[in-house]
Amino acid sequence: MTLFSKGGSLLRNTTRRIQVDRELTEEVGTYVELLTEKKMNEGMNEKEARRAAMVEVGGVEQVKENVREGRMGFAMETFVQDIRYGLRSLLKKPGFTLTAVIALALGIGANTAIFSVINGVLLRSLAYGNPERIVMLWEKSLTGGNQQNVISPGNFLDWEKQSGSFEHMAAVWDLRANLTGGSGEPEEIKAQFVSAGFFSTLGVQPVMGRAFLPQEDKTGNELVIILSHEVWQTRFGSDPQIVGKQATVNGRQRTIVGVMPPGFHFLDNQVKAWAPLALDPAVNYRETTGRFLRAVARLKPGVSVQQAQGELAGIAKQLEQAYPTKNINWGINVVPMHEQIVGEIRPILIVLLAAVAFVLLIACANVANLLLSRAAARQKELALRAALGAGRARLLRQMMTESVLLALMGGALGVLLAVWGIRLLIAFGPDNIPRLNEISVDLGVLAFTFAVSLITGLLFGLVPALQASRPDLNDALKEGGRGSTSGRTGTLRNAFVVAEVSLALVLLIGAGLMIRSFARLQSVNTGFQAENVLTMRAQLPGKKYPEPHQIVDFFKHAQERIATIPGVQAVGAISYLPLTGLTSRDSFKIPGQPSLAAGQEPGVEVRVVTPAYFQAMGIPLLKGRLLDERDVKETRVLLINETLAKRYFPNTDPLGKQLEVMWDGSGPDEIVGVVGDIREGALTKEPEPAIYWSHPREPYSGMALVIRATGNASRLTTAVQKEIRGLDPEQPISEVRTMEQVIAKSIARPRFNTLLLSIFAGVALVLASVGLYGVMNYSATQRTHEVGIRMALGATRSDIMKLVVGNGMMLTVLGIGIGIAASLILTRVMASLLFGVTATDLPTFAGVSAVLAGVALIANYIPARRATRVNPVIALRYE
Amino acid sequence: MSNRDDDFTADLLQGTLDLLVLKALSAQPLHGLGVSTRINQITKGTFDVKPGSLFPALHRMEEAGWLKAEWGESENNRRAKFYSLTRAGRRQLETETEDWQRISLAIGSALRAT
Repeated sequence: MTLFSKGGSLLRNTTRRIQVDRELTEEVGTYVELLTEKKMNEGMNEKEARRAAMVEVGGVEQVKENVREGRMGFAMETFVQDIRYGLRSLLKKPGFTLTAVIALALGIGANTAIFSVINGVLLRSLAYGNPERIVMLWEKSLTGGNQQNVISPGNFLDWEKQSGSFEHMAAVWDLRANLTGGSGEPEEIKAQFVSAGFFSTLGVQPVMGRAFLPQEDKTGNELVIILSHEVWQTRFGSDPQIVGKQATVNGRQRTIVGVMPPGFHFLDNQVKAWAPLALDPAVNYRETTGRFLRAVARLKPGVSVQQAQGELAGIAKQLEQAYPTKNINWGINVVPMHEQIVGEIRPILIVLLAAVAFVLLIACANVANLLLSRAAARQKELALRAALGAGRARLLRQMMTESVLLALMGGALGVLLAVWGIRLLIAFGPDNIPRLNEISVDLGVLAFTFAVSLITGLLFGLVPALQASRPDLNDALKEGGRGSTSGRTGTLRNAFVVAEVSLALVLLIGAGLMIRSFARLQSVNTGFQAENVLTMRAQLPGKKYPEPHQIVDFFKHAQERIATIPGVQAVGAISYLPLTGLTSRDSFKIPGQPSLAAGQEPGVEVRVVTPAYFQAMGIPLLKGRLLDERDVKETRVLLINETLAKRYFPNTDPLGKQLEVMWDGSGPDEIVGVVGDIREGALTKEPEPAIYWSHPREPYSGMALVIRATGNASRLTTAVQKEIRGLDPEQPISEVRTMEQVIAKSIARPRFNTLLLSIFAGVALVLASVGLYGVMNYSATQRTHEVGIRMALGATRSDIMKLVVGNGMMLTVLGIGIGIAASLILTRVMASLLFGVTATDLPTFAGVSAVLAGVALIANYIPARRATRVNPVIALRYE
Repeated sequence: MSNRDDDFTADLLQGTLDLLVLKALSAQPLHGLGVSTRINQITKGTFDVKPGSLFPALHRMEEAGWLKAEWGESENNRRAKFYSLTRAGRRQLETETEDWQRISLAIGSALRAT
C-alpha cells in the first residue's frame, strides 16, 4: 500500500465521509441481496429468505455504525501508538533529542520573536478608529528637497478651508512645557498643542471627560488641557474626580477637561498632555512665523489617498501663485499614517525576518542530518519492523510523527525563548522604534509558531524518513551488516552541510556589513569633544520669565554658579543640542551676492549660544573671534561654520562680510568668526551651513546647558542640580545626559540592528559548525575500517589527516562559494541600512569567508585527528 | 440467539477473526458474503461470522494496509466490493499463523500437563 492510497483513505474518512457512507450502504445492501438469493437457492421463498437475511445481518445501520467506530478507532489508535512510540524512542536517545530540540528551539524562537515584532509593528492596525483613513499631511519641496517638511500655519488654515477630501483635519505642534499641580516636583513634559478636531481625526475620545470644543480652539478660551492616562495615574494619583480640576502649565492655570485612554499617543509616546493650538484665522502667519506644524487628517469614506493628493496638489498650486515669496516650489505630500509610522523600519524588519528564516533552515538541515545518522543506526530496527509486515507508509508515518514531535518540542521551547527574547528586545530596544511597546506573544504569534513548527517538522523529517523507510532488508538484517550509509545518504548529508555553510555565510556577511557600517558610524568625526561633557535642558516658563533680559540673566547666572563647582572646566548653553533631532532652520542671503528667486534661497541651521558654548563643547575657532558678553541684542554679529564659509565665500575672507537670515526681517548681521563643523542632525549627515547668534540676540527660553568637566562629568549632576535649585527652586531640569550618551542614543537604532543581526549570525555559525562537526565525526567513524586498511598499507597520519580534513573542507569551500554568490544578490536589500560600506564590501566578504573557513577547519580537524589516532589492528576488527 | 453467545463469539474472534479473514482471502478475492461463507466452510461450520463483526474487521484491516478493496461483479451480476490480500496482508498472515501455532501448541501442552 502506498503512501498515497493511505492518505487517500484518511481523506475518505474525513472529507469524503458521505461517499464512504454511500459505498458502505451499497456494500451492506449487496450482502443482504446475495444472502437472500443464497437462502432462496436453499429453498426458501423470497419473502422468507429476505426476512431471514435481515435478521442475520441484524440492522444495516448498526453494522455501519460498527464499521465507522472501527475505522475511527483504528486511526486514533495508530496515531496514539505512533506518538507513544515516538516519545519513547526520543526519550531513549536523550542526547540526540536534546541537541535537536535546542537547535530547533533556537530557530523557531528567533522566528517567533521577530514575527511578533513584525506582527506588533507592521501587521497589527494602529490603535485609532478606522486607521486606514488617517493620513499625515506635509509640505514638500518640489525641487527635490525635503519631502516631509513641517507646515506653515497660514498654509494649514488654507488647506483646511479649501479641501473637500477630508472629514477632519488637525494641526499639531510639539512642545515642551513645565507642568505643576498634582503631586511631585515641577516637571518638564512633552506636550502637543492641537486643533480641536485632533481627537476626531484620530477617532479616539477621552476615557474621562471630553475632547476639546471648537470654541476652546480660539485665543482666550484655550486654557484647558487633556492628560495622558499615564500622567493622570502617576502625577494625579488616578483621581476619579480629576475633570474640572486645575493644572499649571508654563505658569498658567488650565482646567483639566479629559483623560485619554492608556497607550494613546500620536507619533511620540512620551507626550503627556494635549492643549488647544488656537490658531487664529485672522492672523497673517505667513508674515510672522515660519513652518513648524505637523498635520493629520481623516479621509472621507470612499476617498482614496491619490484623490486627496490630487486635490491638494491643485490647492498647493493656487497657494504658490497667491503667495509666491513664501510658497514657491512648495507642494503638499499625503502619507498614509501606517506608512508614516512603519515605512522607515520596514527594511530592517525584512532583513531580520530573512535572517531568522535562515537560522531556522540551518537548524532544519542540522536536525535532518542528525535524523539521517540516527536512521542509519536504526536501520536494523526499521528493517525488522518492515520484515514483520509494517508497510512503508506505516514506517514513514511513524518517523514523521517523531519529527513533528521533535519540532513541536522545539516550538514549545522556542516560544519560551521568544517570550524571553521579546522582553530583552523591549528592554534594550531604542525608544524610537515605533510601537515597540505594543509587541507581545499573542494568539496570532502562537498560531504562527505552531504552523512553523509543523512545517519545520515535515521539512527536516521527510527526506530522512523517505530514505530510512526503504531499508535494504537483506543487507540490514545480515548479522554483522555494517548498517553503513548508502552512497545516496552520504550525498544527502553532504548537501545538507553545504546548504548550512552557505546559509550561515549569507547571515555572517549580513552581520559583517552591519558591524563594519556601525564601526564607521562610531568613528565619524563629530567635530566636537564628547568626552567629559554633561548636558541638560532648562525650559523657563513664560509667565515667570516674561522679559527677555530675565531669560538671558537666568542662564548667565546659572552658568556662573555652575562654573564655581569644583571639577567644572567650562559651561555654556545652546538652543538645540547636536544629534538630538531638534533643529531650527531658515533661509538666508548674502548681500552683494546675486540673490536667488524667492523660495530657492539656501537654508541654514540657526543656533543661539552663550559665549562659553564652543569651549565647553570643544569646537575649534578657525578664524576671527567667538561671541562674548559684549554681544548684546543690538550688536548685529554672528558666527558661521566652516561649511558655510567654504560654500558661500569660496575665495574670500568671510570675516567682516554681511549675511542676512530671513528670520524676522530685521536685516543682515556681520560675520565675526568661523567655527569648526559639527555633525548636527545625525552622524550620517554631512555638516550643513550653520550660523550662531548670541543669546541676547534671540533669547530662547529653553536652552541646553553644556558642562565640560575635568573628569567623569556625570558625577557633577547633583551639584549642578543644586545650583539651579539655588537660583530658582521651582525650575525643573530635564534630559540630564552626558554628550556620549547623546551620541549613543542617536545611533541606538543601528546599534540595535547590528546587535540583533550579529546574534542571529552567531547562532547560525554555531549551528552550522556543529552540523559540520557532526557529519565529519560520523563519516570519520564510518571510515574507521577504511582508515585502518590505509594505515596498514602504509599511509601516514598526515595522509589520513589530509584525506579526512580535505573531504570536509571541500564541502566548506563549496558552501562558501554558493554563500558568496547568494550574498551578492541578497545583501542588496540591506543597502539602505548601511553607512560608509557598500553592500558588496570586499573586505567583509573576504574576512567573513575566512572566519567561516577557520571555524570549519576546526570542526573538521577534531574528528580527523581522532581518525588518525586509530590503532590499525583495532580499526580492521571494527565491524 | 442469546447475548452470552454473542459475547463469546466476540471474545473468541478478537484474536482469531483477523487470522480467519486473512486465511479466507489467501486463495482468492472475495466479497463480504463470500468471506463469511468461506470462513464457515474452512472452519467446518464452527464459525458463523455475522456482518456486525465482519464489516468492521474488513474495514479495519483495509485501513491497516493488509487488505485492498475493489468494486466488481458478483457471480450473479451484482455490484459488490471484493477484498484481497496485500503484500503486507500476506506477511501478516504468515506471522499470525506462526504465532497461532506457537500459542495453540503451548496452550495444548499446558492443558495436557498434570
